[in-house]
Amino acid sequence: MYIDRRKFLEMTAALAGSSLLTTTMPWFSVFNNPAPVGRGASDRVRIGVIGVGSRGRALLLNLKELEESLNLEIAAVCDTYEPHYERAIELTDGKAEAFFDYREMIEKVELDGVVIASPLHEHAHQTINCMKAGIDVFCEKAMARHLDDVKDMYDAYKETGKIMLIGHQRLFNPIYLEAMERLERGEIGPITMLRAWWHRNTDWVFYRGTGGRGTELDRKRNWRFYDEYSAGMITELGSHHFQVANWVLDERPLSVMGSGSINHFTDGREVYDNFALIFEYPEDIHFTYDCITSNKHNGMQVQVLGNDGTLELESNMQFEEFPDDPPAIQDLIEDIQEGENDAIPIGGATWIPNAPIRLGGDYISPDYAMNDTLLYIEGFINFIRKGSAPEKLTNEGYWASIWTLLAEEATKTGKVVTMPDKYKI
Amino acid sequence: MKNVYHNRFFAMGTRFHALLPGMDDDTAERVFYLMKDEVLRIEKKLSRFLPDSDISRLNKHAKEKPVIVDDEIFDILNACRFCWQLTDGAFDLTLRPLMDFWKNQPQSNAEVDEFAQLKKNLGLQHVNVDDEKKSVQFSNNQIEIDLGGFGKGYALEKIGELLSDSSVESAFISFGESSVLAAGNHPAGDSWKIGMNDYLNPGKSIHEFRVSGGSVSTSSNFFVADNGMLKNHRHVIDPKTGEPIEQLRSVSVCSESPLLAEMLSTAFLVLPEEKIEDIKEQYDNLEVISVDYESGEAIVKTFEELQTE
Repeated sequence: MYIDRRKFLEMTAALAGSSLLTTTMPWFSVFNNPAPVGRGASDRVRIGVIGVGSRGRALLLNLKELEESLNLEIAAVCDTYEPHYERAIELTDGKAEAFFDYREMIEKVELDGVVIASPLHEHAHQTINCMKAGIDVFCEKAMARHLDDVKDMYDAYKETGKIMLIGHQRLFNPIYLEAMERLERGEIGPITMLRAWWHRNTDWVFYRGTGGRGTELDRKRNWRFYDEYSAGMITELGSHHFQVANWVLDERPLSVMGSGSINHFTDGREVYDNFALIFEYPEDIHFTYDCITSNKHNGMQVQVLGNDGTLELESNMQFEEFPDDPPAIQDLIEDIQEGENDAIPIGGATWIPNAPIRLGGDYISPDYAMNDTLLYIEGFINFIRKGSAPEKLTNEGYWASIWTLLAEEATKTGKVVTMPDKYKI
Repeated sequence: MKNVYHNRFFAMGTRFHALLPGMDDDTAERVFYLMKDEVLRIEKKLSRFLPDSDISRLNKHAKEKPVIVDDEIFDILNACRFCWQLTDGAFDLTLRPLMDFWKNQPQSNAEVDEFAQLKKNLGLQHVNVDDEKKSVQFSNNQIEIDLGGFGKGYALEKIGELLSDSSVESAFISFGESSVLAAGNHPAGDSWKIGMNDYLNPGKSIHEFRVSGGSVSTSSNFFVADNGMLKNHRHVIDPKTGEPIEQLRSVSVCSESPLLAEMLSTAFLVLPEEKIEDIKEQYDNLEVISVDYESGEAIVKTFEELQTE
């Protein structure tokens, strides 16, 4: 995967000391100020991977990419499903110790950190037990299946003082970094609404040949379809963008309302194939979100709407609301309004703006081909070496996960849902 | 007071302004967004800056093998070829690598060789179109298609159709000021009077075109900076010499078709006067002016003497 490292470091260096890198996204400063990497075997950061399914495999490959440069070792892998267990051994060339039970893994292997990519309902106990065993944790989003589990994870994080990061990888995306800077400069004026969506045309079946919905194998492999294990697209997709909304507004929602149904993929799945949400934020700002798996025309997007412009974060574009008028156009408008027809000097050489404008807008960041998951993992390894990670990074994961599950509750109850006090931190 | 709907957006590296007089705002707004969608559709298809555009795909693959193009791109390439022939090669959409070459102010001998190579390899004659298969192949790997001097006129051509399909009787569209479409008549009656701005005396017209359902396109070898200064952008290459036109000048063409106006204004910037007059004679209602800014004042030449009326 392509990373223009030099440009990226220039960008983060240029922002060093700005409020953006001290308060909004403090974790980005780690790239200009990395932990020293000792080269000896004893300096090696030892990582375990729990869950090597589709996402876990991707994370493992990212870890492998960093093995050399960051002196890290994938010391152990774990998966309860035999084909994945075998695959994990293969991917690590047999060098990592392999386990079916993560408890055994953290007991037998000395680890500095774990990367957790198991099904959602397994995250809580795995994260908590690892931190209690003194191991730093990078856990895939969302945090957990139930609100109380999310809070328990947070409490364990506070108690143990270990690192707990949640895999909303946009937190490490340079486009978002640049976008935040532009928002801070007021480039699109006051933000008045957020809109986001994730539309796909897919049955979302990860594993075929399980015997269909409801079989034991299907419950295990296609766990995203079962209410016991997942809130479907709300936790697995929406969670990413709920995090972005909180982050862009630097706020948490006041309430959420919503609705969902299964109107196309009536194959026995228990989770929605479409839903729509409205989050209300302080200062009367609303964030609308919708998700569908039976039409892909709109794709995926996060729009930040301001009075003077629009950011489309997923496509890396910024649009201005009103280009300046050509000098003579007001004269022409007045003429038309007053029923006069004078010659107006309105034609001539092509007007060009100061910055290049493409497709009605301009790129937010030219370096759009960066792999944010890899950067996040790199950040995690650095934080392990430094012994701590910015608290705000953990909190981003926490708030996104809390409001993801509150959104699910809103769709199930049809009520306007607010956050119970017990989840305040 | 007469109502006039005014709205605008950015596209194709510049600004698009629309005035729709005499319509209720809701209807005008619908028409405006149809125009915006159409312009952005065309940009997405033709822009060489967008890696997924049809033109980028062509530029990437047609050096190696024939690339099948859709009907629209096929028609566009044919229109370009028509104008290339009409203007003895003055309208040529393959010269971008020469523009890039001159932008770097070449000095050394190695660069002289590079220039000779580019001059030999560039030109629309190296773009081979198979009319049967509707495929395109370049005969060397330096060819690159750049529809910069085409896109705005093409978009306005489509906008003209859209306005007429939407029964809009009167409209004024300015696409970056250099491509103007005046549909129907001015709401006060009579044709639209489109003045050409004098950059040395901003706000004054050096010429006035009267347009009823037609277009004015201006090509120049300078941009207008925000401080009003004219700057030679070395973007206009004379295909005969392969070198940029150094004198600050502009040519404006008024014709019923925005696309014809766009293509001819580009070509006329490098063509000798006799040839311009020759082409002008072949079309009814074609008006041409050229403006020379080099001396520090605008010297306007109109090509009126041969007008038939």
